[in-house]
Amino acid sequence: MASSQIGTGGGLSRLRSALPFSNRDWGLLLVAPGVLLFSSFMLYPIFYLFYISLTDATFAGSVIGGGAELIGLANYVQLIGDSQFWTSMTTTWLFVAVSLVIKVLLAVGIALLLNHVRVAGKRYMRAAVIVPLGFPGIFTITVWRGMFSDARFGVFNTILGRYNDVMSSLSAPELLLFDVPIGFLSGRWEAFFAYVTTEVWLAYPFMVIIIVSALQDVPRSLHEAAMVDGAGALERFRTVTLPAIKGPVLFASILTAATSFQQFLIPWVFNQGGPSRQNELIIVYGYREAITFNQFGLSAAILIVGIAFVGLFMYVAVRYGGLAEGVGDE
Amino acid sequence: MSALAALLALVRAKLVALATAPKRFVVMVQRAVYDVRTGNRTAWDVTKSVLMTLFGLAMVLVLLFPLFWITTASLAEGTRLFNTGGIFPDPSTYNLDAYRWVIFESDFFFVDGDWGYPQLVLGGGSGLVSFRWVGTDTGPGALFNSLYIVSVTLAAGFGMIVPAAYAFSRRQFIGRKRILYGYVLFTQIGAGLSIATLVALYSLFSTYGLTNNLFILGLFYAASAIPFNTWLLKTYMDNIPVSYEEAAMVDGASFLDTIREVILPLTKPGLAVVLIFVWLAGWNEFIIAQTLLRPENYPLSVELYNIATQGRFSTPWTQFAAFANLFALPVAIVYFAAQRSVEDGLSFGGMEG
Repeated sequence: MASSQIGTGGGLSRLRSALPFSNRDWGLLLVAPGVLLFSSFMLYPIFYLFYISLTDATFAGSVIGGGAELIGLANYVQLIGDSQFWTSMTTTWLFVAVSLVIKVLLAVGIALLLNHVRVAGKRYMRAAVIVPLGFPGIFTITVWRGMFSDARFGVFNTILGRYNDVMSSLSAPELLLFDVPIGFLSGRWEAFFAYVTTEVWLAYPFMVIIIVSALQDVPRSLHEAAMVDGAGALERFRTVTLPAIKGPVLFASILTAATSFQQFLIPWVFNQGGPSRQNELIIVYGYREAITFNQFGLSAAILIVGIAFVGLFMYVAVRYGGLAEGVGDE
Repeated sequence: MSALAALLALVRAKLVALATAPKRFVVMVQRAVYDVRTGNRTAWDVTKSVLMTLFGLAMVLVLLFPLFWITTASLAEGTRLFNTGGIFPDPSTYNLDAYRWVIFESDFFFVDGDWGYPQLVLGGGSGLVSFRWVGTDTGPGALFNSLYIVSVTLAAGFGMIVPAAYAFSRRQFIGRKRILYGYVLFTQIGAGLSIATLVALYSLFSTYGLTNNLFILGLFYAASAIPFNTWLLKTYMDNIPVSYEEAAMVDGASFLDTIREVILPLTKPGLAVVLIFVWLAGWNEFIIAQTLLRPENYPLSVELYNIATQGRFSTPWTQFAAFANLFALPVAIVYFAAQRSVEDGLSFGGMEG
């Protein structure tokens, strides 16, 4: 971000003296409308949500009509004793962790391949692999639900069936065969597996973009120097590639982990966090408590906990990811 | 306007590159053959490259399988796609019935696909027979709701993002650092946050009587897009040397002239990306829209969701696919045309250091 320091010194002051206003805080007027709009639609609701979490509101009407009373932290206390809350928390963190590991491995693999000298048409392939980013989530997630269909003729069940046919024609042992049809959306871990697959597919393009841009900053001469020194492919990856992509990967990991943590659409569209509420990620859990079970107060408490975790993610990203480097200059 | 022009220029450049790709491919093959003949490269060396490329291609195909699948599905209306053993429908049964359904029966363009009808007009001023298009009986459909929301989002978003980005980049004022830091904290927060605050939003909107209001919803999406895009545009403007503005001022340009002649033209790629991101903020979201709006005001995203979930276990796949393709493709095409700038936008800040 060195370039952002250009606008210092004499240039700015001369620019300023030519402006119609002499007041140095004039710029605040340009910023104020955005801040106002953002605060009223995003910040104010968060504070209001916190207020609701301190009441015994049961439905929207009781919040609006003033029928709810302040009950302090009772909702939070109730949460701590609620096994559903802990199920949801564990599932959410497991979801974040598992999908993150797979995402990183997959994205590094793709990025390395699509940056390899021997691959022709890299630019087109790179454009193609980030396609998932360009489509609305509701579209792609519904498509994945269709592919994970429980039905015998669902896409994955058909593929597994074909695989079984091939394997048994090779007289492979029973152990390698699948018990089709698999109820991808009706078993707990099957559904969890489906969530993770979809999440990885949705989020890998972002990682690939970041890793590729980091890889392209590595001078070719470094690789050649390592080759001259007799380093093998693995050695070169460890000493040249890895140091170059470590920072960006870490940074992208924090960001996508924050997004995974708030994942709502996948569980909601797939099976509403089922079967029997076992896979409710935290936001789904909060949403359902409000919409399905009319527990607005409790729901608000859950969502505040979720927001607090997301806030923590962002704080870590900004603090250690160098995201805010452009803020402090001048 | 300049953002739109920049976007169109990007699309055109991309199309030209795509159209000339086969020629470049042929040249590459010719060069490889030539190199092997003259002994510059061994045949094994070329084979290794070909194998790696094929591997890459295979990977791309696997990754894009879902999209390929849904596109073929959209062409298979009425062929009992999911009752047979195949993954893909039989190409000989491809038809466009699903798209016909979207255009003339669904609520995509007009409610119930009622486009209105031509009416014969006899007589009139010139005494000739003429046709007049009579409006629909049912009214405009989801597309118009979506476009209305997006126009509000774009107008409000651009009106607030561009001046603010300029001020952050070029001006000093009270609270600058603090506001900017706050924005950065919110830059990467996804749609999850809006859903998290939905409970509060619904209560607040009901209290102030703002539910079922497309204008307010558009403003809400603009608000959610402000931090990320303001920050993005600020970093773009930071890269324009102040000396350009000084030079313009020395030549007698007024303050507004420098904005119009220097800042805006040089920020064009940034504006194009902001245009895409702000557009997507209003175009794709549906949970909030579904909660706050009544059915007659549903935008396309909510209609799509309703098609996907109308039967608990049976999505009408062909119709869904056709609807989704018409909904997503225009945006996706623009998105990929501007891909280079979008990538820069996504990987800005802290990462190229």
